[in-house]
Amino acid sequence: MSTNSRGDGKATGTMDRRKVLKAGGLLLGAPACACALPAFGGERSGAQHGSDVPHWGMVVDVTKCREGDGCDACITTCRVENNLPPLENPATDIHFIRKVNIRRKHAENAVETTVPLLCNHCDNPPCVQVCPVRASFQRADGIVMCDPHRCIGCRYCLIACPYNARYFVYGGSHDEEQSNPTLAKRSHGVSTACNFCAHRVDEGGTPACVEACRQEGGGALVFGDLNDPDSEISRLVAANKARGLREDLGTHPKVYYIGL
Amino acid sequence: MSAPGEVMETEFKTIEGTSPQFRILLGVLVLLIIAGLWSSWVMFAQGLYVTGMNNRVPWGLQIIMAVFYVGLSAGSLVISSLYAIFGKKEYKPFARISVSLAILFLVAALLSIILDWGRPDRIFVPFMYFNPISMFTINPFLYISYILICSFYLWAMFKERDVLIKILAVVAVTWAIGVHSGTGMIFGFVPRELYQSALLPPSFIAAAVSSGTAMMILVILGLFKFTRRPLDHDLIVRLGRFLAIFIFGVLYFIAVENLYRWYLPQSREAALFFLFDGVQAWVFWLGMILIGSIIPAFILLRRRTGQSIPWIVAASVMVVFGVLCERYLIVVPGQTYYPHLFPGFEITRSVVEEGIVAYNIGFLEIVQAVGIFAIIGLVFVLGLKTLKLLPTEARA
Repeated sequence: MSTNSRGDGKATGTMDRRKVLKAGGLLLGAPACACALPAFGGERSGAQHGSDVPHWGMVVDVTKCREGDGCDACITTCRVENNLPPLENPATDIHFIRKVNIRRKHAENAVETTVPLLCNHCDNPPCVQVCPVRASFQRADGIVMCDPHRCIGCRYCLIACPYNARYFVYGGSHDEEQSNPTLAKRSHGVSTACNFCAHRVDEGGTPACVEACRQEGGGALVFGDLNDPDSEISRLVAANKARGLREDLGTHPKVYYIGL
Repeated sequence: MSAPGEVMETEFKTIEGTSPQFRILLGVLVLLIIAGLWSSWVMFAQGLYVTGMNNRVPWGLQIIMAVFYVGLSAGSLVISSLYAIFGKKEYKPFARISVSLAILFLVAALLSIILDWGRPDRIFVPFMYFNPISMFTINPFLYISYILICSFYLWAMFKERDVLIKILAVVAVTWAIGVHSGTGMIFGFVPRELYQSALLPPSFIAAAVSSGTAMMILVILGLFKFTRRPLDHDLIVRLGRFLAIFIFGVLYFIAVENLYRWYLPQSREAALFFLFDGVQAWVFWLGMILIGSIIPAFILLRRRTGQSIPWIVAASVMVVFGVLCERYLIVVPGQTYYPHLFPGFEITRSVVEEGIVAYNIGFLEIVQAVGIFAIIGLVFVLGLKTLKLLPTEARA
């Protein structure tokens, strides 16, 4: 015969019921909290025509890209503007705008096309969805940025981005003078990516690559407000001449390509 | 000898912890911890370029180990559940070690993740600014609450509160399923060809249960031998049979996943890369399938070898190795295989690596991983000395 281990004379049954209720509350509460989690994904901000807030996007016309002349105006200007460290190792170098050559597979005598690639500032950005501290975020004007002061360097955004557009500052000694001292120094251990030169856009300008291409290159890059139906970019996109990369992934990229 | 039908009361006792071997063990663990902390400091101060990771493979050994530890954590709970939920009193002697290891393995997982960050000094930032839909927020929440639940569960075991033990066992196992599915979702819910998968959460649970049981077999045998306490080998033989079943669970999910990827045209190239091209093909066929699954299953199911302790030990070591290979296969090929930016086109010139890349584990990463293992090892052996975790004997 077993005596109640509590020794207070209470039947074990009453304490059990309370514990069962507590445990039951826990078991029900956990999935309930899970259900209360906000909708996964969904558009963070979309273009709204006629809105006061701009919705920045870019069009890249690869037919105008003068790569054949050895032009890399967009790349060199971007590197200077954003204090990107000198190129050392293709595995860890940071590129905000880069160029690749593509050629159609399984086609005889396929031509090579040069394609500038950069962060697509998606309206449904996977990098923002996965960032545990919301260091990766999208502004109301559509620019996706990474706050280097909040970033913990977990690199989930590098994993989530399907465009290889996110970079991690792996470090190494870079003690040379900053090419653009107006920007804060980049520490190692954080993630970074093209931010449409937000510091220039906020002053009413355009990204450095766009300006460089217009002045020195073929004028392949167009930057503008997708919320303004009369802007050049809106007209190009509406004329159905441009499309984004891997739009089937549902990221809704805002960098549109003509000639691909 | 106990009379038929009478259950022997299990008595738990601390270990002496005074032998020279024990002191040497402590010394070795402390040295490994110091080495691990040193390597972590180098990574933090100089930047992660000192590792083998890069922009195409930003997740390396520490993430592999974190996933491995999460699996071991839930798996070790299986043995305590045999006692606490299914009432099999013969497993009671192992229950306390089982739950303590569940806690410690998850602590190791958290340490692996945090020390892998570029800025671990910003440890408080996730608590202040969390993003509720990020898997990297949901999972630490699950991990920390799981550690608290298991701690409460262990406390209930010390106090011999049987009803509370049973309830907490159910809660802990439910939470473990959540923890595992959540860890699987970190990879499964990302749009990369060799990550995105709805099967990853359940296959994680299968691998966890398998690796955890194998690890517990090794830990139990090692502990009872080192402390010279009697252990009925029949208990281990039974656990070995469970392990054989769990191995087939893992194989099932691996088979379905790869068949699915190969069958669909859109993922066939990725599937063929994963199975036949590159270093992970060796890790898959030799490490995970042959050594990690087929040979141990064969050993455990054959009567002669399945009842022999040395063979069971060999099989368990192989299973743990196989699951470690599987964790590598979850984390790395998804990164070394390239995202298809231009379907139908090939990239003929790039400035970053746009094609298939390689990941070579850096020496500092290994030192850091060993150091983290030594931390939980030290806590565990000191725990054996201060808490009554180990029974005086285990009889079937």
